[in-house]
Amino acid sequence: MIRPIRVLLVEDNPGDADLTRDTLESGAQAFEIAVAVDGEEAIEYLLRRGRHTAAPRPDLVLLDLNLPRLHGVEVLAEIKQDDLLRAIPVVVFTSSDAEQDVLQSYQRGANGYVTKAGDLGAFVAKVQAIERFWFTVVTLP
Amino acid sequence: MSAVAENQTQEMFRLIVEAAPNAIVVTNRQRMITLINRRTEELFGYSRAELVGQPTEILVPMQFRKAHPAHVDGFFTAPEPRAIAAGRELVGRRKDGTEVAIEIGLTPLPTSDGLFTLASILDITERKRNEDELRRSNAELEQFAYIASHDLQEPLRMVASYTELLGQRYRGKLDEKADKYIFYAVDGAKRMQALVADLLAFSRVGSQGRPLVPVESEAVVNSVVDMLRGPIRKANATIEISALPAVLADEGQLRQLFQNLIGNALKFRADADPIIGVRAARHGERWLFCVEDNGIGIDMQYGERIFQMFQRLHERGKYEGSGIGLAIVKRIVERHGGTIWLESKLGLGTSFFFSLPSIGAKNPS
Repeated sequence: MIRPIRVLLVEDNPGDADLTRDTLESGAQAFEIAVAVDGEEAIEYLLRRGRHTAAPRPDLVLLDLNLPRLHGVEVLAEIKQDDLLRAIPVVVFTSSDAEQDVLQSYQRGANGYVTKAGDLGAFVAKVQAIERFWFTVVTLP
Repeated sequence: MSAVAENQTQEMFRLIVEAAPNAIVVTNRQRMITLINRRTEELFGYSRAELVGQPTEILVPMQFRKAHPAHVDGFFTAPEPRAIAAGRELVGRRKDGTEVAIEIGLTPLPTSDGLFTLASILDITERKRNEDELRRSNAELEQFAYIASHDLQEPLRMVASYTELLGQRYRGKLDEKADKYIFYAVDGAKRMQALVADLLAFSRVGSQGRPLVPVESEAVVNSVVDMLRGPIRKANATIEISALPAVLADEGQLRQLFQNLIGNALKFRADADPIIGVRAARHGERWLFCVEDNGIGIDMQYGERIFQMFQRLHERGKYEGSGIGLAIVKRIVERHGGTIWLESKLGLGTSFFFSLPSIGAKNPS
């Protein structure tokens, strides 16, 4: 790929956002990472509204579930109901391992569900696995 | 005995019955009330004249009246003293139609006039209210532990991750003391993460449990053994599973129970190759299970303590784990209405015994 890989990180915890960004940026591929701190901002970014009129289309959305204002599952539903956005893969990345959340996410079209539980090593390994799978294994639209 | 003395004795018995703290109702073979005491009047709101000569059904709520004569006949054909409400709550019906929680003890009274029944009735409204209150507050506590441990995980993960990152990025760049401080912080955070995760697992037993349904325990044990085949091969262990029954259980919890017990048997093994047995025997409405091993054994003076949360008998580092496994096992067994205990000899092995309700059990938990 000539241009950097674009990831929209929907994450209200700056600690997790930094750790995810750090891990992705320390890999071999070039990333352009945008962070939306709540569900509403994520939707504005994707629809290029408000202060995000010039936002590029992300190659992947990493979506936390427990978000202020608009819950992650609702963000997911909005993306998957939109003809233009539907093709963007959305990977849920959350500390919730509740069956209900997993089921709801897949029912609304999540392309993957990854839990954040574990220590630093496990967290980094999961982000690296997401990177490897989505940006070297699969073919994206 | 003179007529006067006999009259005195009768008067004495009448007064005793009258003053008894329980409501007393005597009925004849035709289920007619022949005698009551003052407490019966108070409890049911009828006067003596309104009750004596009436069938006992007058004190039984409408929905149970049809079945009542059959119950009474059953008692007369096998008239052993018994508490008909043993382990079961009954309700009585007052004159005003309201219901009252009661416990009844029945005693046969064979007299020269035929067989009578003495019913001693206890108002258990207060006790039931206390029990309900206790149940409610326990459930609340469990919910609290669940929410607290669940919500603690996220901020704790931040502390653990970032102290660890600090350690990775700045090791040797500050000074020796700093490295040591960071190590303690990382170690403490990680241990707390393990404890919180265990607390969460423990509180899930009560707050996230599912209803008890028929489960083939042998299939569950087989799947646990299959899941543990890595550690089993590594320990060169033999697992001997006898024919196991179907029981009333929460399948996920049953799996966890056997996983913890068989996992422990593998973990606390002696020098000899482990031999682990699982068997069960029928005891009335329940099945008594036994999981036995030839491991290092437990000093029986700790036989109770090891079922408490976070109790470990070995120093950290020798065996992994925070000491939650058996506390979870105990909690699961108790949720299934049973008890768990162990028999052990140091150096010879340990047998864990616990009971689970059979398929037809009337009061599974």
